Amino acid sequence: MKHLIINVLIAIIALWFLPLAGQAQQYNGTSGMVHIPTGEMHHEGDALIGAHFLNKAMTPDTGFLYLGEKYNTFDYYIALTPFSWIEMSYVCTERIHAKDEQTGHIKWSKDRYASVKIQPLKEGKYYPAVAIGCNDVLTSAFFKDKPDVQLYFTNVYVAATKTFTFSGNELGLTVAYRHFFRGYNAKWNGVVGGITFRPSFFPQWRLMVEYTGNEFLLGTDVLLWQHLRLQASLKDFKYVNAGLCLQFNLLGKKYRY
Amino acid sequence: MFHINTSSRYRSLFVGFLALIFLAGQPQAKGQDTSPGIDFFSGINFSFADMNFYRQYDVLLHLTPGFKWNMGNHWQLTGQAMIPIINTFGEEYKYVQIGAFNISKEMRISKSYLKATVGVFDMYRYGADLKAFVPLSDRLAFEGQAGYVGVLYFDSSAHLYKPDRFVWTVGGDIYLPRWNTQFRGTVGRYLYQDFGCEAEAMRHFNHTTVSVYGRWSGEYGLDGGFRIVIMLPPYHRKHRAVNFRPASNYRMSYTVMYKSYANCMYHTDPEQNERDGWFSRDLLHWGSHTMEPDFIITNKTEQQ
Repeated sequence: MKHLIINVLIAIIALWFLPLAGQAQQYNGTSGMVHIPTGEMHHEGDALIGAHFLNKAMTPDTGFLYLGEKYNTFDYYIALTPFSWIEMSYVCTERIHAKDEQTGHIKWSKDRYASVKIQPLKEGKYYPAVAIGCNDVLTSAFFKDKPDVQLYFTNVYVAATKTFTFSGNELGLTVAYRHFFRGYNAKWNGVVGGITFRPSFFPQWRLMVEYTGNEFLLGTDVLLWQHLRLQASLKDFKYVNAGLCLQFNLLGKKYRY
Repeated sequence: MFHINTSSRYRSLFVGFLALIFLAGQPQAKGQDTSPGIDFFSGINFSFADMNFYRQYDVLLHLTPGFKWNMGNHWQLTGQAMIPIINTFGEEYKYVQIGAFNISKEMRISKSYLKATVGVFDMYRYGADLKAFVPLSDRLAFEGQAGYVGVLYFDSSAHLYKPDRFVWTVGGDIYLPRWNTQFRGTVGRYLYQDFGCEAEAMRHFNHTTVSVYGRWSGEYGLDGGFRIVIMLPPYHRKHRAVNFRPASNYRMSYTVMYKSYANCMYHTDPEQNERDGWFSRDLLHWGSHTMEPDFIITNKTEQQ
């Protein structure tokens, strides 16, 4: 009970500072920071179901326009790590199509995509964890040469992450190379990276700063009671993103974070 | 409208199935979940589709009360009703349907396992069905299914059409016990008479199975998706002569392209799922049945 109260107090303190620091977990359910992937993976058997508020700064410059203006939206996802070396997720992102002039109702649709991430190299004492992955893998494979097909979130990447521990604190360094298939996302192409920090007194809490290729992003996340993950971030120091997810380990194992 | 029209071909097949059932050998073992008794259960059948700009999803929610009467020796009489509770799919889905009403017999003949079923299945079908499973080793098995079915559905009246469709699938299974992983591949002729094939990779976790699959239909083309099977608690149960319980599992199947007529096949058991397969755990010890059981069922009398 005492441990629970301390956890809640620390979580409240952490959430209090969210507007300054933000929360983290990649918006599509795969492991990573906020907008960039890392070389790390979820634990084998981890299943996540969650939703994320996406500021208009997080969406592509095409496809998410209504009356010529970008709009805030949200996505929701389920993700699974069937083995320690592979993650899969399925994401739906809400889109506003148009307004029905007769009824006044907004027409909604969803952009759906699948993500796959594979870790060929686990982290060692002297070398980093390396992961490769792809968002929107199915349409990427079949329609990459057709300009009229929606590939709003399609990208491929390779990421490397090395963590260092000192006095129980954990510092992670990530460098990744990412390529989006469509020109309207080209601003996020190239070398990206970030730094994460987990304090020894509450390792379920993670602080991070990352460079997305176009802007900097501050974020934080916290895992409460081993199942509830909250996340938030500030993109370009002013655009708020936030989300939450439920996390379970289908093998029945318990992890601190 | 209610009419029955059977052909001599169907009658011959029906008699053949009955003969096969009665001639079959006795099962090798009694199962903890197939002890004589009757189970009343209910779950929900939740369908949703992204087909409407004005709604997040069209929803179809059925309440699915049913029963299973295990008569011993792996004879089973089962029935299930599909009662629509929420329906935004359309008028044609507002009627109560029969999800299952059939009698089945599981048996072992030499190294082969057979299950014969006669009666009403889901997908608005009735007829006769035979399933076979032949384990070659702990890791490799062949499987097959064949059925001869007609249409039965209800709206303001009952519609019964004579059986006229022969469906079949054959395939193989590979199970990797170290990772509780199963690969399944089948080819066949499906309910809407399309030829096709399907490949599925499953990972069995504690009480949950997740799979991804891809399939091809000669009539409808490529498709794919994922499935999730969650075995529902309580996991410790007492067995009585009459039992009331929730449905054993919740099964979700997602299809990318929503080709609703592609690679379709009916289910004969209202609780049929990819995790458990076609046969009872105590009869066929293969695949996920070699894992820890999802349900620990104690006999009420023994406990006393």
